[in-house]
Amino acid sequence: MVARIDHKECIFEPGECIVTVAARNGIEIPTLCHYEGLCGLGVCRVCVVEMDRKIVPACITKLEKPCEILTDSERVREERGMMLALLRKRAPNSEVIADLAERYHAPDLPRLTVAEDADRCILCGLCVQACKALGSSAIATVMRGTKKKIGTPYDDISNACIGCGSCAQVCPTGSISVKDENGVRKIWHKEFRLVFCKRCGALLGTEKMLKKNRITDALCSDCRGYDTAEQIHQVLSK
Amino acid sequence: MKTVYVCCGTNCLAAGAKKVLSELRQECAGMEAEVLPRIKETGCSGFCEYGPIVTIADEGENDITYYRVKESDAAEIAQKTIAKGELIPRLCFHKDRNQPVASKMENPFYSSQKKIALRNVGLIDPADLQDYLARGGYEGLKRALELGSEGVLEEMRLSGLRGRGGAGFPTAAKWETGAKQKEFPKYIVCNGDEGDPGAFMDGSIMEGDPHSVIEGMLIAAIAVGSEQGFLYIRDEYVHARRSIGKALEEAKKAGFLGRNILNSGFSFDAEIVRGGGAFVCGEGSALLESIEGKVGEPRHKPPRTSEVGLWRKPTVTNNVETLANVPFILAKGGKAFAQIGTEGSKGTKVFAMVGKVKRTGLVEVPMGITLHDLIFEIGGGIKNGRQFKAVQTGGPSGGCIPQSMLDLQVDFDNLTKFGAMMGSGGMIVMDDTSCMVEVARYYVDFLCEESCGKCTPCREGLRQMRHILTEICEGRGQDGDLETLERIARTMKDTALCALGRTAANPVLSTIRYFREEYNAHIHDKFCPAGVCSKLSVFKIDPETCVGCGLCSTLCPAKAVIGEAKHPYRIDPQRCTTCGSCRNKCPKKAIITERRGENGSKD
Ligand SMILES: Cc1cc2nc3c(=O)[nH]c(=O)nc-3n(C[C@H](O)[C@H](O)[C@H](O)COP(=O)(O)O)c2cc1C
Ligand code: SF4
Ligand code: FES
Repeated sequence: MVARIDHKECIFEPGECIVTVAARNGIEIPTLCHYEGLCGLGVCRVCVVEMDRKIVPACITKLEKPCEILTDSERVREERGMMLALLRKRAPNSEVIADLAERYHAPDLPRLTVAEDADRCILCGLCVQACKALGSSAIATVMRGTKKKIGTPYDDISNACIGCGSCAQVCPTGSISVKDENGVRKIWHKEFRLVFCKRCGALLGTEKMLKKNRITDALCSDCRGYDTAEQIHQVLSK
Repeated sequence: MKTVYVCCGTNCLAAGAKKVLSELRQECAGMEAEVLPRIKETGCSGFCEYGPIVTIADEGENDITYYRVKESDAAEIAQKTIAKGELIPRLCFHKDRNQPVASKMENPFYSSQKKIALRNVGLIDPADLQDYLARGGYEGLKRALELGSEGVLEEMRLSGLRGRGGAGFPTAAKWETGAKQKEFPKYIVCNGDEGDPGAFMDGSIMEGDPHSVIEGMLIAAIAVGSEQGFLYIRDEYVHARRSIGKALEEAKKAGFLGRNILNSGFSFDAEIVRGGGAFVCGEGSALLESIEGKVGEPRHKPPRTSEVGLWRKPTVTNNVETLANVPFILAKGGKAFAQIGTEGSKGTKVFAMVGKVKRTGLVEVPMGITLHDLIFEIGGGIKNGRQFKAVQTGGPSGGCIPQSMLDLQVDFDNLTKFGAMMGSGGMIVMDDTSCMVEVARYYVDFLCEESCGKCTPCREGLRQMRHILTEICEGRGQDGDLETLERIARTMKDTALCALGRTAANPVLSTIRYFREEYNAHIHDKFCPAGVCSKLSVFKIDPETCVGCGLCSTLCPAKAVIGEAKHPYRIDPQRCTTCGSCRNKCPKKAIITERRGENGSKD
């Protein structure tokens, strides 16, 4: 089927999301809470576009029938700009947000105020999704409404956390701090001993990660592959 | 044989209905067989402010109804009214000063009501299935079993019933979508979350007529092809949960629920789920998340929940009041239902009328009644001889309607057209002592706490709106604030993920639309004309009007009233917090509002 995105004919399979089809056709739509492979959240709303004159989030809206999509109409610019103006006050220390706000001409409304305890987090919840997808569910969104936060249960040390840092990796604004120093990783109020490959010294992850994945030999996959090849070679040459 | 109905709805219970009931039982216990009455404990009869309410009905159409009955009145009621049919004027409702009315139907609070959803509430003992059956209960189910899915859908289409939970979505269309789905199992969910502050009709129906809700669910199940239902009941509603729980048991015993219902081959069962405790949990998809045991946060739509719902199966969710209308439609026919109401909104609507109106309570009226009739005929006008100012309908998603629009006919489309909403039927009447900026701020504040906080426009938009409104209320309003509010509102309406965020700005927009001058007074003159925002206003006693009764000086919690009896009193502006205690009670209405000056004194 064919959808017209910014007046360009784009072919799609029913069920594909607008961002995917747009990206394939070289049309860029900004996203924050969207991460390929994680289930769609659709909460940050910077990806809004106009679909048959209705404002929809492009990251989770599926194309089912031919339609007309505008990713840069005046209305889209206005809504997206406002969204970024709001996010700028939620995450005043985020460069990503500041850049986007500038690029998409977020209006400068003097009456908007910075949120209490604001830093870089935009509360999109991608980290929570990533943690869940990897089977740990160590972090969650807590509270609701304007008091919503992301954190470990009771802001305490979480037993479920294995220090893998996936949350930090998916975070669109670099809000989650992970520090690797002197063989120790600090994340979510917790410290993890780091393990390095006993042969080449490459970082393998935290002790807890290895334990969870049942890796006992402390070798990186390259070195382990090399060992296996060596063993086969020895057997064959006997 | 006479029947005595003692209202045991939540409000009457709080006013001592249980004691009245047991006294009456005792007083009547020894009566002679020919006058021995049946005594019934009923659900809420609506006129909560005048409770406990006792109705003594004969076998025909006649009744005598007493209000604000006390334990100590029981003996007299038994001896005079029950035994001899004599009226006790003291306990009657008085239309005019000296005109007691005997029958409920002569009481202006009841006389223009039309009861469908509340048809049994107050007239049956909710714990007694026989009472429900005696008033035609489960006849709708029997007819639905005969008609089958398509037949039921046709009746529903004819009825034109629209959902009473807020959005006003046509019920037949929702059921049709459910019926078309090929996935099984399918679920029927009753939304009894009732989170709108001020609304209590759904609780009253669940408490006072639980079988009508269950019967409604059964009929929906026949139409959709479902065998399992859930009743999601607000956590605080202990009575409602108990009443529904009992009714489910009774219905099962009597063969109306469970396997092979009335030997028709159709099976359906339902269970109760306790609510998650936030306003947003009442939103259709958040409610399903909550039933699944997750945090109650709304889902992205499409797909609609009637296609992909509970555990990803087709799920039809209806509001309590919607479901309570359904048995009537099946029993009396969709056409009969459609004769009531307006072109686009058929039937009746229950309103919970509260606030500054003389007679508060639950009223069920035909769609299309004017606001004026509701507030002035049924509600009896404004309390304490004050001025009507606005009526807020639809709770946090609704809006405020001003005096000039009292002739508006209340239905789904009219209210939406004028920036308010039907919502669940909350109706708060306000007089000239309400500040409309503060009202808007109250609702925004409520939603800041009660939304899920998941999507940017709602969470951040509400936060910013609350900030600006607080600034205005506290005298720091600026030029351009209204434009900023409107700008934020537009984005919320267009881009929020669920209906909470999309309608959250209605209280703000409607008050700006109809009460812009009041906003301007706050922003530019730093004055709150209603005398609510304490940083901007202070009370003064008009020396011309004051008779020196001194009531204000005893009432003032801040001890701000100075003076001596028989001479005009004076208010110390430094101390006055504009709490309104004196103004509410002053018999001469001598308390006037003035602008508070820079140093806390009046100008
Ligand atoms: C924030 C929010 C809160 C809601 N709360 C309720 C509620 O407490 N009770 C209810 O029946 N519907 C509520 N609704 C409406 C439901 O989403 C849904 O439309 C309704 O239950 C469907 O039933 P109906 O078609 O019979 O009205 C709410 C909607 C929103 C957006
Ligand atoms: S609009 Fe508000 S309540 Fe609805 S999903 Fe967004 S944050 Fe939650
Ligand atoms: S990227 Fe689409 S809503 Fe966040």
